Amino acid sequence: MPERSRHLAPMLSVAGVGLVLLCLISLLIGAGDVGAWRSLETLFGQGDEQSRFVIYGLRWPRTELAVVVGIALGAAGVLLQSVTRNTLAEPGLLGVSAGSSFAVVMAISLGASASSLAFSVAVLGALIGCLLVMAVCRLRGVGSDPVRLILAGAAFSGFLSALSGLLLLRDQRTADEMRFWVIGSLAGRPVETLYAALPGLICGLILMLPLVRPLAALALGEALASSLGHHPQRVRLGVLIVVAMLVGTANAAAGPIGFLGLIVPFMARRMVGSDIRQTLWLSLLLGPSVLLGADIVSRLLVSPYELPIGVVTAFIGAPVLIATVRAQRLPIL
Amino acid sequence: MKSMVVRRPSHMAPAGFWLLRLGPWTQLVSRRSFVAGALLLLLLACACLVSLTFGGSRPIPVKDALLVLAGQGDAVSRLLINTLRMPRILAAVLTGAALGAAGCLMQTLARNRLATPGIVGLDNGATAFAVASIVATSTSLLPSILALFGAATAAVLTFALASGSGSRGYRFIVTGIGVGAMFSALTNLMLSQAPIDAANRAYPWTVGSLNGTSAVAIRALAAGLFFGLPWACLLGRQLAAMGFSERVSISLGVRLGALRMTTLAATVWLTALGVAVAGPVGLVALIAPEIARYLAKQRGVPVLNSAWSGALLMVVADWAGRNILSPIEVPVGIVMAIIGGPYLIWIVLRQPDRRVQ
Amino acid sequence: MAAVVSISLWCDVVTAAERTLDTAYGLVRINGVPKRVVTLGETALDASLTLDAHPLGALAARGGSQVPEYLQEKAGHIELVGSVREPNLEAVLALEPDLILATNDLSKQLFDQLSLIAPTVIPKVGSLDDWRASFRLYALALDKQAMAEERLKDFDHQVESLRQSIATGQSASVLRWNPQGPILMSAQVFAGQILASLGFLPNELAVSLKHRPHSDILSLENLTKADADWIFLATLNADGEKALDEVSGQPGFAQLKAVKDGHVVSVDGQVWSSSAGYMAAERILADIAKALAL
Repeated sequence: MPERSRHLAPMLSVAGVGLVLLCLISLLIGAGDVGAWRSLETLFGQGDEQSRFVIYGLRWPRTELAVVVGIALGAAGVLLQSVTRNTLAEPGLLGVSAGSSFAVVMAISLGASASSLAFSVAVLGALIGCLLVMAVCRLRGVGSDPVRLILAGAAFSGFLSALSGLLLLRDQRTADEMRFWVIGSLAGRPVETLYAALPGLICGLILMLPLVRPLAALALGEALASSLGHHPQRVRLGVLIVVAMLVGTANAAAGPIGFLGLIVPFMARRMVGSDIRQTLWLSLLLGPSVLLGADIVSRLLVSPYELPIGVVTAFIGAPVLIATVRAQRLPIL
Repeated sequence: MKSMVVRRPSHMAPAGFWLLRLGPWTQLVSRRSFVAGALLLLLLACACLVSLTFGGSRPIPVKDALLVLAGQGDAVSRLLINTLRMPRILAAVLTGAALGAAGCLMQTLARNRLATPGIVGLDNGATAFAVASIVATSTSLLPSILALFGAATAAVLTFALASGSGSRGYRFIVTGIGVGAMFSALTNLMLSQAPIDAANRAYPWTVGSLNGTSAVAIRALAAGLFFGLPWACLLGRQLAAMGFSERVSISLGVRLGALRMTTLAATVWLTALGVAVAGPVGLVALIAPEIARYLAKQRGVPVLNSAWSGALLMVVADWAGRNILSPIEVPVGIVMAIIGGPYLIWIVLRQPDRRVQ
Repeated sequence: MAAVVSISLWCDVVTAAERTLDTAYGLVRINGVPKRVVTLGETALDASLTLDAHPLGALAARGGSQVPEYLQEKAGHIELVGSVREPNLEAVLALEPDLILATNDLSKQLFDQLSLIAPTVIPKVGSLDDWRASFRLYALALDKQAMAEERLKDFDHQVESLRQSIATGQSASVLRWNPQGPILMSAQVFAGQILASLGFLPNELAVSLKHRPHSDILSLENLTKADADWIFLATLNADGEKALDEVSGQPGFAQLKAVKDGHVVSVDGQVWSSSAGYMAAERILADIAKALAL
């Protein structure tokens, strides 16, 4: 579709510039006393020790983490919506995040500590969540009720959070820790978290590459896709594994941050249309932008404290969800 | 012209039905659903008795329990039953009935077996307001009242945002999920900022618990059910006509828009009352109608049977929660979710395309 | 001899009169000397054990299967009647208590039901008020006022003697560290009060928390607001060393002045940030003495 691909390049550049700008703002602004001017000076080499610590020791790793998590969640959102043919699908709503959160709760209560969690645990949990999605989609075309998937996901999340509740009943130490983890936050993660998250992200992105064209073909319909030489079932399985990897990594790194997988595809679709070959690349830039924006807001609203980022994304994402649904027809993927 | 329709004598009901006559008023009652209802009530009575006597920190022989109910018996048993167990069982029965009926109405309205009032944000709204009353203010405001307001607010918000939802109910459901997510984020925020003793006090309201329900709330629930349940049954009968396509329904004289609004109002009313007493025990509203439908195996809207099976579920879940990890109590909401979750997944996997009716 | 005994018995009868207590949920009347006490909450358990009124039942703390660690030795074997979040009323009733001592964790609904079992006493005192007030209230309920005053005097002696050995002008703050950042305990709360009585100066932010027991999660950029000469790190982990290791890996921690001076002490969070009883207070004094190597 030559028309749409003409849109992609300018949109990508806009998104790219936006991302760079947001990264800069994220370095300049924070909840503390190091204001924008001082930060600017520090970036150019003249700043005192405290400013340098705040910029390079706190804000820079945080920005990096936001970018990594944003890419992971943005891409996962677009992929999930494409494979379920459902514009309301979101890893948080479908229970994928609930799966990895539950795995984390189990791990913590069995003795691990929240800060040094094995990423594989979270990915495994996310995979279980994806299994449910697969089952509901029945590995066949889903043309029917878009809400059935959401409802199943909501009930599944409820079930898993009840199981977590049961575990936490006996163990108050874990309950106290989970109280803070469950809202998701980018603050205070040690640098090791970033390094641990990178393999998961890169793996997921690499595995995603060969799946993009088959996914685009699937959007034309199963029969057509098969006749083009793709295997719909295998494609779906592959995509769901990628989603699990990306979501599990993001959750383990920053806790469950919901609604990003809804906001990013929404924006991408508005900008370049529904073709996944375009929305996917755009989402790699939009994801971190949205997350950084939310992070900056969370730092500014209640200084000297900070709002948990999961709350900010929920308050942006819920209206997006409602707006999606208020449109006359659900956009077809 | 001779009619081709076979005329049955007016005193004979169709096969499988009974005809009730009360003066000028006649009512068709399905035999099967009546038997199912009677069975459920019997099971409910047994469950209540078991919950009253067995298990717990101090099991009471059935004989003594009956003595206490008759007004005699020793002081400790009397205290145990009248102060602790009876109110609790009563709360379970009433809450289960309210939520079961509400769930049945909701599923019919949304034409979807997976729709529950809880998923539409009512549970989350109630929790958020109740937690706010405990965490943000002192203990003077009764959390139950605020929970009621919370559920009502969530419903109004959802309805306002999904206005003009047209004939397909999905917009309303998804809007409800969005509203619910916002309230849920608010609750998490409040809990993370609260001092630990306030967070502990607010805990039962986040999972759904029958521990220490207030007598005032139970009485309010009973009064609300007294009017709500018959109203729901009436609506159920009208909704059964809606099972046909819209054109047929309208030509049958059903006023669809008004019916939907009224049903929604009834659902919110019943759910809000139930949740104000027990907290977010939403899954009852999902499973109870399924049980009712399975037993009656008949098309129609089994509001009353859903109510009885909801009550049965709550009593059983409450008893189980008290006894599994004794002396630690598992809140009834958690038990319900643990039973309900796999069941729900099973529904989803088994017959993915079957509609409600 | 017999005269003395009979007079003291008579005095007992006279003093064990009806008394009315002003509690969080209204006035509560108690008759006689309670013999069967159930405590719901660590401060209440602490008070009863201190006053030698061994309770029949108590709530389980972290871990779900035992009372708080610092009380375990003195408590010995004790029936569990539920957890802090869900007290089990039937278990309480099964013990047939004649007095129930509870803390602010209890909701009004539970209080109403418990009152029907036995007189239930919850101090009106919030976490920001003087901890001795709640201790005295429990003592009044248990009819052991004399013993309570004795113990408090003893405690004051301990504070005085420890105070002499501490250099003046040092500041201290009590922190709970979460991954996202520290939570600062108010200077008016239990541990803060004890530190103040020992001559430690609180930091500014802690003083400003007049209406809340602790702050929100401070941004890591604002750590200087939580800093002091000495930092007492209240951890949830029973293993202090492990907790300290965990925390020192996090960004910002190394920036604290106290860390650079090596004046960070890991302490039991249960004692320093949730309880508010006599034995907890003694334990705090012991922790401080150990930390300052006195």
